[in-house]
Amino acid sequence: MVALEQTDRGQHGAREIPVWDPLVRLIHWSLALTILLNGAVVEDESLAHEWIGYVALGLVALRAIWALAGPKHARFSAFPPSPRRALVHLGRLLSGERRVHLSHNPLGALMVYNIWLSVIALGVTGYMMTTPAYFGIDWVEELHEVVFGWLILSVALHVAGVAFESWWSGVNLVRAMVNGRKTIPPGSNVE
Amino acid sequence: MTLMLWSSRTKERRATILAGLILLQTVSALFFIGDVIADLRGGTPLDNPHVLIETVASVVLISGVIFMMIELRSLLSRMSDMQSGLDIARGHLGEVIGDFFHAWKLTAAERDVAIMILKGLDNDTIASMRNTAPGTVRAQATGIYAKSGTTGRAQFISLFMEELMSGELDPDAQSNPKAEARGPRPLPDSARAS
Repeated sequence: MVALEQTDRGQHGAREIPVWDPLVRLIHWSLALTILLNGAVVEDESLAHEWIGYVALGLVALRAIWALAGPKHARFSAFPPSPRRALVHLGRLLSGERRVHLSHNPLGALMVYNIWLSVIALGVTGYMMTTPAYFGIDWVEELHEVVFGWLILSVALHVAGVAFESWWSGVNLVRAMVNGRKTIPPGSNVE
Repeated sequence: MTLMLWSSRTKERRATILAGLILLQTVSALFFIGDVIADLRGGTPLDNPHVLIETVASVVLISGVIFMMIELRSLLSRMSDMQSGLDIARGHLGEVIGDFFHAWKLTAAERDVAIMILKGLDNDTIASMRNTAPGTVRAQATGIYAKSGTTGRAQFISLFMEELMSGELDPDAQSNPKAEARGPRPLPDSARAS
């Protein structure tokens, strides 16, 4: 009977479920690259900085369209921005209940929206600085700086969250964002 | 099976290429749209050939992106259909095998040996994997063939092949009607893998 179960479920009883389609993955890593380039590599007031910023805006726009028209796991409906669900999720974490989420977990979902909105805010304030009407206006530049600081903090939290969730749920989330498949350990509580 | 895997890998590659094109084409479209907006704000009239061509290019690029998104969407859903089809077939086969073993009243050891036979292992390999003498495995195999009413290994394996190829593998049906017609009782819930 043991051998039969193995034929049913594959090795060690773990299941592989395709979750992230190639477009989601490409957008994710491209966005990470634009943030890295603009934050740490490219000169702040260069033309390249502007263009990379517009590309980042385009990536978020494309992702938003895909979240409306794309497949199941890529849609907004798979990870609604719900503080209530995030609190429930936090409660479950604190009570030690482990649960695997096929899409983003509710806390991660909030982080996703937070990062997208931050990138949009950076893009808009960055664009404003190039227009004659807002060029050299202090509050625009300060807002751009503040949002950038917030984005870096968010990215750090995002990476920490991914590391924690991978350890907690036993699903390697980084690999899932590379090859698209989540490997669900046997006996997991899947949502 | 190899053919299936190959074609699923090809589909995956096609999906990745489509996604890459969507991404690059969106960025290109945004470049043109941005340029058109900059030109118009700079006072260039809309019927200027340069602006006109860029407007047409933007529309064409955006249409291409929409078209490729629809393509990618249907490709992805075909891929997930095939995966769930395979899962259903695997699950079914597991159930059918379990039903048969139950009906034949195989012992636990015989079940293990029978599964290894189905997986294509020869008696010597089975003996070394189970740490028993080849003679024991031969005896167990003979018992399995006798209980299943088959004459030997080939016929035993083809029993299950026939079950798969006899058509009417209805993905929604809970158990195989043919297997039921032959008499096996359904497996207890604990033995049903899902």
